[in-house]
Amino acid sequence: MGAIKTVWGILCVLFLMGPLIVVLPIAFNAGGFVSFPIQGWSLRWFAVLFGDPGWRLSIWNSLIVGLASSALATMLGTLAALGLRGRVGVPVVLARMVFLLPMATPAVVLGVGMQLIYARLGLGSTYAGLIIGHAVLSIPFTLLSVTAALASVDRGVERAAASLGAPPPTVLWLVTLPMALPGIVTGFVFAFANSLDEVVLTIFLAGPNQRTLARQMFLQLRDNLSPAIAAAAFTFIIATICIGITGLWLQHRRKRMMA
Amino acid sequence: MTPAPFIRCDGIAKSFGTTRVIDNLALDIFKGEFVSLLGPSGSGKTTLLTMIAGFERPTEGGIWLDGYRIDDLAPHKRNMGMVFQNYALFPHMTVAQNVGFPLRMRRMGRADAQARVARALEMVELGAMADRRPSQLSGGQQQRVALARALVFEPRVVLMDEPLGALDKRLREQMQLDIRDLHRRLGLTIVFVTHDQSEALTMSDRIAVFNKGRIEQIDTPAAVYDRPATRFVAEFVGETNMLSGRVADTGPDGTAVDLAGGLRIRVRQPLEPGRAVSVCLRPERLHLGGAGVNVMDCRVTDRVYMGDHLRVALDGAAGPIIARLPRSADTIREGEAVTASFAPEDCWVLAA
Amino acid sequence: MIARHLPDLKAAALVLPLVAFLAVFFLWPLASIFTTAVSDTEVSRAFPELGRAIDGWDGQAPTPAMQQALVADIRTTPQATMGDAVRRLNSQTSGFRSLFGRTQQAVARGTGPVDLVALDGRWADPLYWNTIRSALPPYTPRFLLSALDLQQGAEGIEVAGQSVHVQIFLRTLGISALVTGLCALIGVPFAMLMLATTGWVRNVLMASVLLPMWTSVLVRCTAWLIILQNDGVLSRILQTLGGLREAVPLLFTRSGVIIAMTHVMLPFMILSIYSVLIAMPKNLMPAAASMGANPIAAFRTVLLPLALPGIVSGGLLVFMTSLGFYILPALLGGGNDQLISSFVAEYAIRQANWPLASALGLILLIVTVVIFALYQRLSTRMAGA
Ligand SMILES: Nc1ncnc2c1ncn2[C@@H]1O[C@H](COP(=O)(O)OP(=O)(O)OP(=O)(O)O)[C@@H](O)[C@H]1O
Ligand SMILES: [Mg+2]
Repeated sequence: MGAIKTVWGILCVLFLMGPLIVVLPIAFNAGGFVSFPIQGWSLRWFAVLFGDPGWRLSIWNSLIVGLASSALATMLGTLAALGLRGRVGVPVVLARMVFLLPMATPAVVLGVGMQLIYARLGLGSTYAGLIIGHAVLSIPFTLLSVTAALASVDRGVERAAASLGAPPPTVLWLVTLPMALPGIVTGFVFAFANSLDEVVLTIFLAGPNQRTLARQMFLQLRDNLSPAIAAAAFTFIIATICIGITGLWLQHRRKRMMA
Repeated sequence: MTPAPFIRCDGIAKSFGTTRVIDNLALDIFKGEFVSLLGPSGSGKTTLLTMIAGFERPTEGGIWLDGYRIDDLAPHKRNMGMVFQNYALFPHMTVAQNVGFPLRMRRMGRADAQARVARALEMVELGAMADRRPSQLSGGQQQRVALARALVFEPRVVLMDEPLGALDKRLREQMQLDIRDLHRRLGLTIVFVTHDQSEALTMSDRIAVFNKGRIEQIDTPAAVYDRPATRFVAEFVGETNMLSGRVADTGPDGTAVDLAGGLRIRVRQPLEPGRAVSVCLRPERLHLGGAGVNVMDCRVTDRVYMGDHLRVALDGAAGPIIARLPRSADTIREGEAVTASFAPEDCWVLAA
Repeated sequence: MIARHLPDLKAAALVLPLVAFLAVFFLWPLASIFTTAVSDTEVSRAFPELGRAIDGWDGQAPTPAMQQALVADIRTTPQATMGDAVRRLNSQTSGFRSLFGRTQQAVARGTGPVDLVALDGRWADPLYWNTIRSALPPYTPRFLLSALDLQQGAEGIEVAGQSVHVQIFLRTLGISALVTGLCALIGVPFAMLMLATTGWVRNVLMASVLLPMWTSVLVRCTAWLIILQNDGVLSRILQTLGGLREAVPLLFTRSGVIIAMTHVMLPFMILSIYSVLIAMPKNLMPAAASMGANPIAAFRTVLLPLALPGIVSGGLLVFMTSLGFYILPALLGGGNDQLISSFVAEYAIRQANWPLASALGLILLIVTVVIFALYQRLSTRMAGA
């Protein structure tokens, strides 16, 4: 019984982690991309990644679009979470459902629809258009995480602030938002990670100038398997780990503060 | 002529959905008065306090402060300090920032504010904790921070929702004295919620006894204790023996009551003959020995040593009763036959 | 009165920006998918006058009013618009183009009324007028029908020649169901294993769920590209295990796509089940054992029913997400392993056939939204319980 469990556990962990472990050393492979047994170590693919203007532009674009769309989604999500806070009733449930719907909508479908309206609004192949598109996809993440953070803010503490002379905007600014801040930042981080990884909507909405790292990787993977992909993948993993650690740290901080 | 009340609650009621939590309640509080709201859990004390503070609107009736109706006045404009049942400290601010918050809201100068915060923290013996976060304090320390925060801006009215609940006995008594002292020195008007009757009795000018969203009695501690208006008050405030009986006859020198066990006792209040009544008799009013107007023979069924007194369970003609005896009665034994007596003026009669 | 409703107004003001944003950039796109999928204005745009005049026509001989309306439309409609309309009409009734070309030239010569029947005898034939009339309504089920391999025939809806889209839909549903089943099959025992462990072992198991989930799907595709490649790691292992002479092809095959999709979706399934199991009392299994249930019976009668809400909601999530997969099959699958999203993208981007892309997308969207609604209901019920 115990042995079967152990073997099963190891197999599952191998299945889940194996791909990540395989992809890491490839970035430092001196040989070509597809040659798996490593032929020698080198940083040359990083040189390609950060030296090639196409890749460089795509990294910048990912940062710009990621930051701007996460900021937009966080702002809209935070406002709405504040408005919906502690409210019940059919309209509220419906609104919440619609706000979460972008999470479920297939990206291709949204891509087609957005391209249809962007043609009319003149937003096709613009940064603004791409940022808006990514923000739509990120809103469920920010809304959920800010809602959860607000739910843990004690109403009594806000009442205390009011009784001590703080008008409602001050209560919001000095008490509610600081207490919800870890949740807001978590939402932002999720949104950023989501934008970083977004390919499909970007294919529909971005012009050649708005090519993001993810889209660049997708094209390279599909069309010409440049070994710089492995370096890009490595960069991605490092970014993910940084984001993950930030997230865990925020959660930890929040728990400690509220304890 | 009595002065106009400082806080006036008139005919207020509060419902959450279909449940009525406060029902047609009237309460006048005078300037500089210390009023306790005393009642069992869930009787609506916190709800009344939140309406006075302005967090909830009464469903019916109105609240006046200093002659002005304040139903529509936002909480932050009421200038009332409040100590919350669960402290409600700001977790993201230090102790000093918490206490300094009301001063910051009033745009007080930095140096002034710092001095006031330091003084307030000294008062609650937390001077050394100024730079800690609330999460690094014990429950009692947090409660004292909440107290300092509510008092530091010298508000017109201080509302306290069980502010001493989490303190140990020593600190609790110390804080009771401190609050009374502040009350007198600053001329504060204090509304103090508690379900500890001894705390209410020792600290208040007047006590309002709550039961199921109504005030059963509001009066001085002595009146509430000695002349409870209802059976609920008699049983909730202090311990009491309830003896049921019927009025036999009444005259200029008192009234005779026939108890259910057949014993006839005399009380002071004039009463209409034939009425069913309950006689409240506080345990400490009972004495051993046969000298007195009302005398009964009993058997000791239990005795408990309480430190400063003895608590003795007796069984006699009036049914089982509890007596609180001085330690000089230490020799009493279980099963012993004794004579207990009490004076007519120590009995308080309520309609049954 | 106003004071009493003030909180509501404030809440509305806070929610309004998001509502407006999503209305414009989310609901409008979805709505325009719908209108694009069902609208057909090519012909009605070109013949506004005729559209009015043909109302109430008995379908026999063309009335003079209709003829003059047609002449007016020919004179006012821009060339390009008219060209699109004629191409479309010609595809339905051949000969329309030549008839229309002649008519256009004759009409262009003058400004007064023109006798169309005198110009070309074919205009007396109700067939041509009927062709226009049947193409006039601005809405059409054509594209939606064609997305389901159906068409509007002479007597009602009929099956179109070859089955293209239905096959893709079935493939999408089949692969998604298979992936969901695999995730459940691996996820249930794994979640229970996590529950049974403590300390660092549980942390390792948890990390091996979270890390892949956080990793970019592109990175995981890259990894699977390396692992699945012919003569790659997995292929060799399978070859050795099976004692085969040739390497097993995995990349650009259905199996490869399913393996990689399972890898991508598995963490969601595990977390969904785990979150249900972790919330239940710790001593249920020992209690069942103490009442004489053997481990398998205890599992079947106690643990599985309790884990069921987690399995169902995880399954819905996995299934719903799988339906919309696009980049993974595009990178790891062959031509026969593409899901419906690929066809939507293909029609939209390569062929600029927006109506058909919209029609396929609309069907996918409806299926997804229904599953999402189920998922939401289940998860709010679970949160409430
Ligand atoms: N927001 C609310 N919604 C519904 N019911 C409420 C609400 N607030 C209080 N109640 C109910 O009102 C009643 C009185 O509550 P309240 O908090 O005033 O009691 P309390 O006298 O302060 O009790 P305690 O001594 O336990 O603090 C309780 O039965 C409580 O359940
Ligand atoms: Mg209370």
